[in-house]
Amino acid sequence: MREMYLIAMNEIRVTVRNPFWAFSGLFQPIIYLLLFGPLLNGVAGVRGFPGGGNAIQFFAPGLLIMNALFGSGFEGFTLRDKLDSGFLERLRVTPISRLSLALGFILQTSLNLVVQSILLLVVSLFFGLRIDPLGALLLLALIVLIGITMASISYRLGLMIREGGILAGIVNTFILPAMILSGIMLPINFGPPLIQAAARIDPFYYAVNASRALIEGHVGDPSVLSALVIFAVLAAVCLAIFIRGMREAVA
Amino acid sequence: MAASPIIHTEKLGKRFAGHKKGEVVDAVRDLDLEVAKGEIFGLLGPNGAGKTTAMRMLCTLLVPTAGKASVAGFDLTTQAHEIRRHIGYVGQKGGMEQVATGRENLMLHAQLYRMSKAEAARRIDALIGRLKLSTFADRKTETYSGGQRRIFDLASGVINHPELLFLDEPSTGLDPQSRARVWEEVKALHEQGTSIFVTTHYLEEADALCDRVAIVDLGRIVALGTPAELKKQIAGDIITVSYDAPERAEAAVKLLEGNPLVLERHAIEDGHQLYVDKGDEALPVILRTLGQGGAAPKSVHLSRPSLDDVFLKLTGRSMRDTGEEQH
Repeated sequence: MREMYLIAMNEIRVTVRNPFWAFSGLFQPIIYLLLFGPLLNGVAGVRGFPGGGNAIQFFAPGLLIMNALFGSGFEGFTLRDKLDSGFLERLRVTPISRLSLALGFILQTSLNLVVQSILLLVVSLFFGLRIDPLGALLLLALIVLIGITMASISYRLGLMIREGGILAGIVNTFILPAMILSGIMLPINFGPPLIQAAARIDPFYYAVNASRALIEGHVGDPSVLSALVIFAVLAAVCLAIFIRGMREAVA
Repeated sequence: MAASPIIHTEKLGKRFAGHKKGEVVDAVRDLDLEVAKGEIFGLLGPNGAGKTTAMRMLCTLLVPTAGKASVAGFDLTTQAHEIRRHIGYVGQKGGMEQVATGRENLMLHAQLYRMSKAEAARRIDALIGRLKLSTFADRKTETYSGGQRRIFDLASGVINHPELLFLDEPSTGLDPQSRARVWEEVKALHEQGTSIFVTTHYLEEADALCDRVAIVDLGRIVALGTPAELKKQIAGDIITVSYDAPERAEAAVKLLEGNPLVLERHAIEDGHQLYVDKGDEALPVILRTLGQGGAAPKSVHLSRPSLDDVFLKLTGRSMRDTGEEQH
């Protein structure tokens, strides 16, 4: 436990020392809020648009999921740097357990995501977002599960793939369709049946629906339970895969 | 040799999957080593010889695919965790976090060895004082020069008072002063009783630091002994003689023909190299022979063979023109 904490604290210190850390993570979501939000306002009145015709209630919860997806999906690159600089190697010859090492990185990613999500929620308040407090807490839990899932996959890939460009390609190949099919940008029920069917196999579709329900305080909405269960299972599986990767002697 | 060696290996090997399917690369083959407590032991070889792979196995960074080993009294395959408590390691890349200060890096490493914060702070202060790091200890390591970084890496490597310190190419890429500084500190650690295992492709480094050296090539040990013993494998000493005029050199060749003192003769630009058994005794005799025969040399240089000459003799290749590092 102490080891995991030491690793996470070291990583947080490194993150916070980057003068752009908060900005770089939040830049994209805020641009979306500023530029895409008003565009959505125009179509929010269209019949069938979820969120009761209110664009920000529709869009901000999606952005939170998107931030979780992108914020943790590229963590593999930071691990790549740690391999290249010898930092990870130096830690691996100390008596720290591979479990603590892996969990330390995951803890850092999770804390970082929680802070970013809270900042994003606060910013969204200024755009008129109404937030249910209990729902928001559950949403943060969901975001952490997403973060663990994505960071674990990304870290595991980072351990395997030496070439940064290939890593980026793989990550983007999965993240982009996952994001579009989740209905973050536009409601999936606007799409043709094929897209709607494809969305059903995208775990992020459930996460985005749950996020919208939670912001409104619909804690009992079926999407909430399904999203939490899906990502609890995915987080557990992916974390196990990452920890196993850490245990095998890699690079 | 001491009763319980600090490193003992039997037929240790590491096989990697090759680039092509089904192809395998034996980076290390049948490594049998015994390193005594308190010894500075060197693995010397060109890039790609397998010395880094061998070291990475011994310090628990790579799992061997063959054989067995004990390090600091613990079994390499079943007690890696115990081994990590007792060893220090300074890799080629160092491993400092760039945006943290040297002191912060040391603090993290010390705490990972289960030191309390106060205990760690005392240890770090002592190290910073002894190694004279105080002027830059509180700057981010990204601002360090190569030499400063390497001394900090060394401090990190000994933060846990290891019985055995692994150094992977400790002076690669350093300027001569920094290299001398690193050697000085390594020798000081040796005097305090630390056993040291070092890989290097610098012959001078192996010669200057090591009690014993194993020369490795293509994953195998090709020679093992003290630097002096290894150099003895090359017949005696080398006398390099040069002349003012080519006629004199030709005359000298005739004069030395059949001379029992000259074991081998190799022509060089303006003279020749003579391999002799005992250089200090042979030199005056040869000079007299040359002088009396009218082939007095312009200059004479007596040298001992270098480890490079040993490598050349054993492998038929020079250390400088061998391949890429594999792992």
